[in-house]
Amino acid sequence: MGIQIGDRAPDFKTNAYYRGIIQEIQLSRYQGHWVVLLFYPADFTFV
Amino acid sequence: MAAVAVKYPAFQELGAEVLTVSVDSPTTHKEWNEKELSRMVEGGARYPMLSDTGGRIGSLYGVHDVKTRLDFRSHFLIDPQGVIQALEIVASPIGRNVAEILRQLRALQHYQATGEFVPCGWEPGKPTLPPEGEASSLSGKVWEVWKPRNAF
Repeated sequence: MGIQIGDRAPDFKTNAYYRGIIQEIQLSRYQGHWVVLLFYPADFTFV
Repeated sequence: MAAVAVKYPAFQELGAEVLTVSVDSPTTHKEWNEKELSRMVEGGARYPMLSDTGGRIGSLYGVHDVKTRLDFRSHFLIDPQGVIQALEIVASPIGRNVAEILRQLRALQHYQATGEFVPCGWEPGKPTLPPEGEASSLSGKVWEVWKPRNAF
C-alpha cells in the first residue's frame, strides 16, 4: 500500500549532516511549515 | 542535488524546509558536500542531508528499491498540517526539474491561500480559475477564460 495524496506524511527520526555537524532530525518537528522531502539514490552519483 | 542547493534560497522565500534523503551515512553526506557540492554551489548544501540507513524512510514512503537497496529519485511536498500534497517518483537515471518542484509548491500555496484552481502550467501572474462553487458556472466555458498558451 503506497502513499497517496491527502495522507499524513509518515513521521521519522534519523541522523543527518546539517550545519557542519551530525544531528538528529525528526520530520514532525517541521509541522507548521511546508516541507520539501527529496529522496535520491546516492551521494557521489550524478548530481 | 546541486540544483536543489542552488535554488535553496527560493524554497526559503516560500517558507519551505528542504530535507534531502539517501541511504548514505551522515559522514558520507559530509564528504560529498565538502568534496563536490561545495565546489559547485557556494555554501554547498545548507539544509539537512538525512541518512536513510537500510532504506527505512524510503520504505515508509514507498520509494525504497529492495533490489538496489537505494531510494528512488522522488519528491514529496508536505503542507504545514503534515499532509502530502504532491509526490513524484522518477527512474534513477533521470534528473529532477527543481523549477517544477518550486512551481508545484507555489501553486499549492496559492490554492491553499485563495481556494482558486491553478490550471495547467500555472506560474504566479498567470490566470487562475475560480474557487469551487463558482467554478461550476464555468462548466463547458473554460475555453472562454483560459487559453492553451497559458500552459507554456
